[in-house]
Amino acid sequence: MTAKGIRIQGLKKRYGSGDTAVDALKTVDMRVAPGEVVGLIGPSGSGKTTLLKCLGAVIEPTAGKMILGDDVIYDDGWKVKDLRALRRDRIGFVFQAPYLIPFLDVTDNVALLPMLAGMPNAEARMRAIELFKALDVEHRAKAMPSQLSGGEQQRVAIARGLVNHPPVILADEPTAPLDSERALAVIRILNDMAKKFETAIIVVTHDEKIIPTFKRIYHIRDGVTYEEEGEGRGFE
Amino acid sequence: MKKLPFQKRTLALIAVLFPLLALFVYVALRSGPLAPVSVVLATVENKSISPKLFGIGTIEARYTYKIGPTFAGRVKRLDVHVGERVKAGQVLGEMDPVDLDERIRAQDATLKRANAQLNEAQARKDYAQTQALRYEQLLKARSTSEEVVATKQQDLLVAKAGLTAAREELSRVRAEREALEAQRSNLSLVAPVDGLVVSRDADPGTTVVAGQAVVELIDPSTLWVNVRFDQIRARGLAAGLSAQITLRSQAGELQAGRVLRVEPLADAVTEETLAKVVFDQIPDPLPPIGELAEITITLPTLAATPVVPNAAIHHKDSRLGVWQVTNGDLRFTAVSLGIADLEGRVQIREGLKVGDQVVAYSENALNEHSRIHVVDHIPGVTQ
Amino acid sequence: MHSWGKFVFTGMGLGLLIGITLSMAGIYRGMVDDAKVLLDNSGADLWVVQKDTLGPYAESSSLYDDIWRGIRGMPGVERAANITYLTMQVGKQDGDVRAMVTGVTPGEPGTPGWPPYLVAGRQITRSHYEAVADIASGFKLGDRIQIRRNHYTIVGLTRRMVSSNGDPMVFIPLKDAQEAQFLKDNDAIREQRRRTAENPAFNRPGVPGLLDAVIASQSTNPYVNAVLVRVEPGHAPEEIAESIRRWKRLTVYTRSQMEEILVGKLIATSARQIFMFLVILSIVSSAIVAFIIYTLTLGKIREIAVLKLIGTKNRTIVGLIMQQSIALGLIGFVVGKISATLLMAPIFPKYVLLQPLDSVMGFIAVVMICVLSSIIAIRAALRVDPAEAIGG
Repeated sequence: MTAKGIRIQGLKKRYGSGDTAVDALKTVDMRVAPGEVVGLIGPSGSGKTTLLKCLGAVIEPTAGKMILGDDVIYDDGWKVKDLRALRRDRIGFVFQAPYLIPFLDVTDNVALLPMLAGMPNAEARMRAIELFKALDVEHRAKAMPSQLSGGEQQRVAIARGLVNHPPVILADEPTAPLDSERALAVIRILNDMAKKFETAIIVVTHDEKIIPTFKRIYHIRDGVTYEEEGEGRGFE
Repeated sequence: MKKLPFQKRTLALIAVLFPLLALFVYVALRSGPLAPVSVVLATVENKSISPKLFGIGTIEARYTYKIGPTFAGRVKRLDVHVGERVKAGQVLGEMDPVDLDERIRAQDATLKRANAQLNEAQARKDYAQTQALRYEQLLKARSTSEEVVATKQQDLLVAKAGLTAAREELSRVRAEREALEAQRSNLSLVAPVDGLVVSRDADPGTTVVAGQAVVELIDPSTLWVNVRFDQIRARGLAAGLSAQITLRSQAGELQAGRVLRVEPLADAVTEETLAKVVFDQIPDPLPPIGELAEITITLPTLAATPVVPNAAIHHKDSRLGVWQVTNGDLRFTAVSLGIADLEGRVQIREGLKVGDQVVAYSENALNEHSRIHVVDHIPGVTQ
Repeated sequence: MHSWGKFVFTGMGLGLLIGITLSMAGIYRGMVDDAKVLLDNSGADLWVVQKDTLGPYAESSSLYDDIWRGIRGMPGVERAANITYLTMQVGKQDGDVRAMVTGVTPGEPGTPGWPPYLVAGRQITRSHYEAVADIASGFKLGDRIQIRRNHYTIVGLTRRMVSSNGDPMVFIPLKDAQEAQFLKDNDAIREQRRRTAENPAFNRPGVPGLLDAVIASQSTNPYVNAVLVRVEPGHAPEEIAESIRRWKRLTVYTRSQMEEILVGKLIATSARQIFMFLVILSIVSSAIVAFIIYTLTLGKIREIAVLKLIGTKNRTIVGLIMQQSIALGLIGFVVGKISATLLMAPIFPKYVLLQPLDSVMGFIAVVMICVLSSIIAIRAALRVDPAEAIGG
């Protein structure tokens, strides 16, 4: 394990205050290495989504420490000024549904992010196309999102998560609407990409079909994480 | 922030909207105030025109005879009716004499009495003359006084005056009787000329005042048209010009006629010149008196001069002129106008020459900055 | 392409609405233009009318027809011409047409009151029974029309010669028009004669000819509605108007006063009505734009949250929504302008004048309405929490 990837130590999140205070996250400790895909599993109300939101830097934790790559981004307070830029440049997101922008074509949907980060248009589009090659959707690069199948859309969404080469990708139930064959295909792609781009990937799921593929799994229950060795069957 | 990657979208948008935009530009330029004005051109031609005058009038009879009694009385009989033709001298009717015969008889008696009075006066005068002569001789014989002779002489003078008075009285009575006789014969209403009865204003039994017409006659051979010409358009009107008469009841049929005279008095109120036009041949059947007639008078044909249609004449900055088109440029050219005819051609005295192009019709009012578009006929005009 | 199609169709619908709005403005402009054209076409600088009336267009006015002579003699007057206006039904073989019959003084082209330009035929040359009609009346050259009891031949056609109500004008010689204005039908004339004949004051046995004289005096109409005055160059119309007011004791209007009467009084109510329509249509248009943009935005809340989550700036999101709204407005405006010009203006019975300046103002208004309408949608979009992208 290098120092890259993401490390979380003693992360806490309390909603409200006083008598009505709820501790959504009590003690969260996680570390995911670059190239590693870990599962985050927990029942509803376990703090799974809150954890994801904290990781995604859209809500502020109450206490703890988050280290992304070499940088401490949270240590009892945000250490990064521009959270928007942080999300844009250093965290990739893949969601349950693709959520592509309907009036942009597939390439632009993906190229949007590097462009927002200031990359020249042509270069951004080149980078998107390269990703499409890797994800095997190159032939649909010029299509509109609505013309794509569900699986193709999800692959484009993954491309969007990868395009800025973030050190970490948060995948929120990426396989929920898919049948088991496609779900497995998506997980395979995530694994491939994690290796290829040296990215740490956290997959939040309660999809029984894919749980066995993880080598390492974090369970979360009542705001506390427990690490567990997965079956790690992989896909061979 | 960099531009969002919208080029492709914009391209697609343009592809969709381009025809729309083109249409938009076309619409903006081709309609409304920015559009060129369609005009129809006319060429100045060398033509001789024969101006005409147009007026309307009513049929009237030149002579109208209103026949009625010379004194108040009652109509006894009336033999003629409206529409009948009568001869000169024909008795048309008679007034009731009432007591006229009795008055003549009384006058006869008066005449006899006057005769008797005359005889009496004669006798007195003869006697007075004899006496006067006798006493003169007696005076010569110195057998009477001068005073007696003077008395006898005066008696004679008185008798002579009495005789003269009686003679005059007789002639007065005789004249009076003749007057009654004349009235007696005037009871007949007699036609003065050959004519047509056009009105019968009183029937037997009606009492009429002296001078009131009982019967109206006209002479049908003297029908004419009393025509009124607007003074503005009466130039060249003169006696002797040939005229075409169209009666209102016979639209399209032309009757020939000529101007008999132009009235020396114009109608100051209606601003019209009056003239009388006579038929060359009186139409048969006779048109009703008072019927409306349209008169067109042809003036002598004029020598050929440049002419333009009157629609080309415009008024601008208190000048009359035309919109002249030279090599597609529009220019207002002042002109001075000559005679016009009824077909709408106007002579150009100055300002244009034969072959010049002028705007005859335009879709909108023109000005110096108008862009024009020459067409055969203005859109919307059905030919 | 679902929402794209919805978008374009909404734009088209909005366009028809904008087309109606533009046509409404065009109708108002058309009414004002009708009034101005009526004044322009009369070729007059001054209108002399009956004392204390707003004639001849807004109120009835009658003057003796020889008053013009006195006015003509005043210094600075170049031309003075009688004119009559009478709105009436003009008969043709098949039905009749509502028209403003204008009696013009005979003379040469350019006489005040004459149609200043024709589209076909010629000007009136005979002093009776010829007519020049506006093309909007539907009459053609050579048609015989009936005005009261006389028949007139159409010798010329005009365009855009309408009364302030939009009725086409028919020009006939003044004398005919005076007669037409006055002349009753034959029955009425006969009744009038009978009544006069029964009146012992007019039908005295001892005065032959009195009855005829009385009847003749009843059958003349020495009146006109106005005298049009053209002022010599170099004289101020207002000065001459003042001297006519002072010495002739008549009411005189200058061109600007006449325009004020026509535009300010005659069509004021219609103008207000149209203005109300404009306001309502603008509100409806902005409501439609706001509603459509708002619905489109609400349908994309998740996408907006994603955009925010992945780091898109608010400015960009606002820009996107506003762009969409303005695009909608642009489609609407272009469709509206085209439909107003090509479809609506020609079929409206009234003259519709679409002025470029109005179009420009309409365009600005549309863009502003779209920008304003998108504010609700923008507020909704800005309130979207990026965290909504994560989790159920």
